[in-house]
Amino acid sequence: MITGKGITKTFRQRGGMLGAREVPALRGVDFSIEKGGAVSFIGESGCGKTTLGRILAGLESYDSGEIVIDGVPMSSLRPKQRQPHFRRVQLIHQDPYSALNPARTIHQTLDAPLTLRAKQTGRSRSWIDERAEELLGLVGLDPGYVLPRYPHQLSGGMRQRVVIARALTVDPDMLVADEATSMIDVSLRLGILGLLKDLRDRLGVSVLFITHDVATARYIGLDGELYVIYRGQVVERGPVETVISDPVHPYTQSLLSAIPVLHGLEVPGAERVVPTEAIDAAQPDAGCLFAARCPFRTERCTSELPVLGHDGGTLQEHACFHPQRRSVVATPAVAS
Amino acid sequence: MSVTSDKRAPGVRISDLSVVYRTGAGELPAVRGVDLELEPGTITGVVGESGSGKSTLALSMLNAVQPPGRIRSGSVEIDGLGDVVTLGGDDLRKTRGRHVGYVFQAAQNSLNPLKTVGKQLLDLGRSHDVDDLPGLVKEARSLLDRMGLDGARVLDSYQHELSGGMRQRVGIMLALVLNAHVVVLDEPTTALDMITQATILRIIREVHEERGLTTLVITHDLGVVAEIADRLAVMYGGRLVEQGPTREVLGAPKHPYTQGLLQAIPRLVGDIDEARALPGRPPTLGTIPPDGCVFRERCAVRMDVCETGEPPVLTIGPRVVACHTAAGDGEQKETVTTGPTRGEEQA
Ligand SMILES: Nc1ncnc2c1ncn2[C@@H]1O[C@H](COP(=O)(O)OP(=O)(O)OP(=O)(O)O)[C@@H](O)[C@H]1O
Ligand SMILES: Nc1ncnc2c1ncn2[C@@H]1O[C@H](COP(=O)(O)OP(=O)(O)OP(=O)(O)O)[C@@H](O)[C@H]1O
Ligand code: SF4
Ligand code: SF4
Ligand SMILES: [Mg+2]
Ligand SMILES: [Mg+2]
Repeated sequence: MITGKGITKTFRQRGGMLGAREVPALRGVDFSIEKGGAVSFIGESGCGKTTLGRILAGLESYDSGEIVIDGVPMSSLRPKQRQPHFRRVQLIHQDPYSALNPARTIHQTLDAPLTLRAKQTGRSRSWIDERAEELLGLVGLDPGYVLPRYPHQLSGGMRQRVVIARALTVDPDMLVADEATSMIDVSLRLGILGLLKDLRDRLGVSVLFITHDVATARYIGLDGELYVIYRGQVVERGPVETVISDPVHPYTQSLLSAIPVLHGLEVPGAERVVPTEAIDAAQPDAGCLFAARCPFRTERCTSELPVLGHDGGTLQEHACFHPQRRSVVATPAVAS
Repeated sequence: MSVTSDKRAPGVRISDLSVVYRTGAGELPAVRGVDLELEPGTITGVVGESGSGKSTLALSMLNAVQPPGRIRSGSVEIDGLGDVVTLGGDDLRKTRGRHVGYVFQAAQNSLNPLKTVGKQLLDLGRSHDVDDLPGLVKEARSLLDRMGLDGARVLDSYQHELSGGMRQRVGIMLALVLNAHVVVLDEPTTALDMITQATILRIIREVHEERGLTTLVITHDLGVVAEIADRLAVMYGGRLVEQGPTREVLGAPKHPYTQGLLQAIPRLVGDIDEARALPGRPPTLGTIPPDGCVFRERCAVRMDVCETGEPPVLTIGPRVVACHTAAGDGEQKETVTTGPTRGEEQA
């Protein structure tokens, strides 16, 4: 089990016309993922999803807060000692183009970590090749076709699956799948989602799923949790079905309202929420971060900071002074 | 829906278009025997998975297929312009941008990083012999303002100073600023988040209507066409397998691929077990079968005839479907035409 408490992270950009600039990427995020559990992060571009994923995989530092991996607080360890813990979290990068070494065949890409693994577990050379084929089969690739090829000879979707296979070479406890299916053809997407669910069910791998495509979050397991992140803060969180079907935070409602409706198959939700456009980077410290774009803000919203909780008796947690259910999600059209 | 009666909107007729790429295994077709009509004032969406030939089709609209590719046969007739495929040299250069505006795939990264947007706009104007450059800048600014941006600021910006959504809008501005009335948008919202995507789609729709355009939107995302297109065309392995009014196609898809694709889309509500991935994987240039149905390897209802027989192209009212199963469908016979002599292609 991995938990995080109050994780903050601010990037400092040097130079630029305006001089040094501070970009708060995470503003005190709490989370918790059980063994074999699933947590999905959704939110607009730049809200901090990848940053949090990278922190969990030990690829990025954080400014404050605590991460506890299987009961061991990372703050109690020296940076070197943390590495083995973080290594059990494997990141599947959102860009399969840069994630693979272009000068290596897929065979070479999988061989290196598997050789290490074979050493650690005292297995033979033949195991390495078998395992490589097994892993590629697991992610729905034809080993005979893929193994001798270089990344540029594969489609984006194939590359993404190779990246997943490579992450599995080290038998991780947790996968951070960052937009892992966005490059994959729609006809195959469910296959990868099913694979992630399978890895949870069969191997007890936890999955942190980062996505723009909210609907995909349901397919790695309905028992999962959904976190909606806005500008580095969790604004709504709860069981995936509750947050999707019964969102109470206006930002979640805006995100869900923006999902294209399959007209002809679906009818749009009756109360779709369209946020106002202004995305001013320099948000005042006081008040709700979403206030500048929120159609429902009141005076209180700009002076006081709403915190995550069950106000109004909602099943999920939310950070809004005026939680209200609105039907924003499209529903299936009644068959004629 | 809103078919603009604006006289300026030209119609476009793509007929029996085939485009090939030279590869180690010879010339292989990326687009094959495509017939598609864009009615004046409508938005047509072409949807298909990676490698199905969408961008190649888009490039053909501008006769801009680059070697090792070439248009092997067919025509692209644009009202008032003639067959773009036969244009060359200066005529062609002037057509692009002036008559046919376009935003190529990855427009987000296609701006020159070393020049401001305004400089690039002036370059564009000069290359099209625009006399009134201040007028062009004014037009660009008002388009950008129209799309919810600070036009003056954007023109003064370099690419890296703009977000992905802003760059997409700059691309759309550049496609429209020379007052083209046929507009081709290749993946206009890819890599944008949902809220930005929704904004851009709304803008495309509004500008399309205000200016009386004939628009082609290319995308891998059915949701995008569902949201903005009047007509939908589904591409698979270089073929158009189905087309028709968007709502009708989505509500009652006739082609097994369209049916499978719709069933494979992760949905926000409903039973998750109802969604199903299609077996197999999309073909690549080298694996597209030269004859018979391109989809047969993944088709649950394929028949013997699908192995070798080119699926007949059936026109059923406003809908077109290329499948052997549709041929046996009794109620749907208003006009039945078989495809042109595609069997003669030497692939
Ligand atoms: N190395 C860095 N230096 C400076 N700023 C950074 C760096 N990495 C991320 N940021 C900033 O931190 C914020 C969060 O970025 P992050 O990549 O985590 O967002 P995201 O939610 O993953 O977005 P996307 O959906 O576009 O992938 C953004 O404002 C981003 O510009
Ligand atoms: N320059 C080229 N040389 C060789 N083959 C090419 C070239 N450009 C495209 N192809 C091939 O032609 C086919 C169609 O490509 P195209 O780019 O039109 O597909 P697409 O539908 O736009 O795909 P995507 O969704 O990935 O953009 C693909 O199999 C592709 O590999
Ligand atoms: S706290 Fe106020 S401004 Fe913030 S989301 Fe809720 S209603 Fe909107
Ligand atoms: S022509 Fe045959 S193989 Fe092709 S989609 Fe129709 S039934 Fe399936
Ligand atoms: Mg990211
Ligand atoms: Mg393309």
